[in-house]
Amino acid sequence: MKWWKLRKRGLVAKVFVGMSGGVDSSVVALLLKEQGYDVTGVYMKNWSKDLPGMKCPWAEDLADAKRVAVKLGIDFEVWDFEKEYHEKVVEYMLDEFKKGNTPNPDVMCNQEIKFKLFFEKAMERGANFIATGHYARTDGAKLLRAVDENKDQTYFLYRISEDAIKHTLFPVGGMKKPEVKKLAEEHGLHNAYKKESMGVCFVGEVGMKDFLKEYINIEPGEIREVETEKVLGVHEGAVFYTIGQRHGLYLSGVAGEVNDGMPYYVVAKDLKKNIVYVSKNLNDSHIWTKELKLKDVIMRSEAKNVLVRLRHRAPLISATFDGKTIHFENEIKRPAAGQSAVIYDGEVCLGGGIIE
Amino acid sequence: MIYLDHAAATPVSAKVLEAMKPYFLDEFFNPSSAYLPAKKVNADYEAAKGEIAHAIGAKGNDIIITAGATEANNLAFTAISSNAKVLYLKTEHDSVRNPARQFDYEEIEVDKNGRIVLDDLKKKISENTEMISVALANNELGTIQPLAEIASLIREIRIERMQKKNPHPLFLHSDASQAMNLLDINVARLGVDLLTLNAAKVYGPKGVGALYVAHDVRLKPVTLGGGQENGLRSGTQNVPGVIGFAVALKNAKEHLNGNRKKYAEMRKVLLNEVKDYELINKKYSLDNFVVLCFDGLDAERLIYALEDRGVYVSTGAACAASKGVRSHVLMAIGLTESEIAGSLRITLGETNTLEQIHEAAKIINEVVEAEKARISG
Repeated sequence: MKWWKLRKRGLVAKVFVGMSGGVDSSVVALLLKEQGYDVTGVYMKNWSKDLPGMKCPWAEDLADAKRVAVKLGIDFEVWDFEKEYHEKVVEYMLDEFKKGNTPNPDVMCNQEIKFKLFFEKAMERGANFIATGHYARTDGAKLLRAVDENKDQTYFLYRISEDAIKHTLFPVGGMKKPEVKKLAEEHGLHNAYKKESMGVCFVGEVGMKDFLKEYINIEPGEIREVETEKVLGVHEGAVFYTIGQRHGLYLSGVAGEVNDGMPYYVVAKDLKKNIVYVSKNLNDSHIWTKELKLKDVIMRSEAKNVLVRLRHRAPLISATFDGKTIHFENEIKRPAAGQSAVIYDGEVCLGGGIIE
Repeated sequence: MIYLDHAAATPVSAKVLEAMKPYFLDEFFNPSSAYLPAKKVNADYEAAKGEIAHAIGAKGNDIIITAGATEANNLAFTAISSNAKVLYLKTEHDSVRNPARQFDYEEIEVDKNGRIVLDDLKKKISENTEMISVALANNELGTIQPLAEIASLIREIRIERMQKKNPHPLFLHSDASQAMNLLDINVARLGVDLLTLNAAKVYGPKGVGALYVAHDVRLKPVTLGGGQENGLRSGTQNVPGVIGFAVALKNAKEHLNGNRKKYAEMRKVLLNEVKDYELINKKYSLDNFVVLCFDGLDAERLIYALEDRGVYVSTGAACAASKGVRSHVLMAIGLTESEIAGSLRITLGETNTLEQIHEAAKIINEVVEAEKARISG
């Protein structure tokens, strides 16, 4: 039942807001409180371990979230999902990396933690809805792209269940980011201009490479030019490298090379031999493709002619989808295996799958 | 703003800042340089060290300047051998607990007032105990410890060890960081072998501390280099910091009696005007520490709500609070989880006036009322 119907009957809808300490989820709590919901803020404690050279910001984020909750006069709780997060997200991620893939832990976190465990626990606690600070919209059981195209986060949400979509509020999905910040400032929220956390939710600023070093045994290996098999340099461990990657190879000034200013790309990896193959040839067949095979496909409704997004914020590309494989009209740069291809029909996010 | 967290930090007083200024600007010379203006800076530095030492009844040569109390506490533990046993009070600050835990260690129990249980200390001293560390005043409760009694116990054990030809030394270390504004500190009277001081708690600059070292204590260097600070802590001297520290400490010493009276009165106002609390630090406490428990409430929420009204307080040690860790100090004195969660630490200081304290009591009552209304609402 819609919340306004509940309110008409004199019942107030209960909503649990996932508050990360950032401005978006803070404004969500603010808006829902103003709209008359019975709001409880929840900090999901998914990760708290410090890594070498990097202090995990969880305690600060928690303090930011709680400070906002107190300012708004709403209830606030900490829900500990560390064990589940490790099992469902971290282990999945490490397994994928060990296979040579490049997984997206945010997608998994939304599917397994935020829109499953958090959602289920909130419902058990008598919630009518959950809410988060994601930039997305819903229409019944449909997931829609955000109004702010630049911020749209449906790429990370495509795997969440219809049941969760039906019971989730995304109040900032209809707003532009600057409006959100302005609203936070006008209401005296201290984190209006807090620096956004980048990348993976828990790895934060330490970077994936440093994180993986803690958990995966890695050894340095050879970087070879694919055409000549010539050894050009040393890499830190093949699992760290992604097909198409051109940064972090440290191949400038390779002995005997004519510095033609052209960068090397990673075109292939041999995990068994721990070799990373690179090429300067932008036309290398490893890099380009006209089709992508998907696994673990989730589609909320079928469609043949679709729009596809291959990275967060990447442009939408027209394609056809047969339920397993996406066919593109023109060649595209092949995304890394393990990343997601997200499928849209207009502004509706239909689903997607993991690139093989 | 009503600042009630002087145990966490104090502002640098105008007098201290004035005294420091020339040493940032005109008198910037390296004290080790050969020319006369540098020699003068060196002389000023040594004189300031002398004043710091004098404030605790020691000589300039007896103290090592450090970058704060944490470093001084760490340096103190270099006095003992690696296989020695260490005892420290259960309520010590992390800057004592963590270096102590590098050794074979045991914690000395406290009673419900936070005072050392002397019988427990006696019981735990063994043949190879070389260090006992007990803060003069605790940083969360303000509890003052009977150091002289501990020292006299240590003296007896030393005599015993000498007679039994036990070669292990036994030292008493104390962190006096929180006590300097209210207690007249004298190393001989306290009977300590090592004493930590901190400029940042006496309206001096942050990042400056000192360790008093008795003559028979041999420390090991923490940094190697040009041999400054008797070779124990190499590095160009923090001249303005030490100049400021000396002025700050002298100032604190001169105002001890006035401070005690002023804070005792303020404490009384708080205890009279704040409603529905339980006082945690009833006895043996520094006059400027007021720890109030609002059982059933979440003190962290109170802190944020008070912050919103311009009143700054804390739950416990600032460093522990920022890690989201329950206070080991409040646990040690036997408070329940819910009492710990509901405890606020108020620490009074020079920035406070009596009007502020009345106002703060009023705001605390309002904030507590609002929280209770929210919970029952």
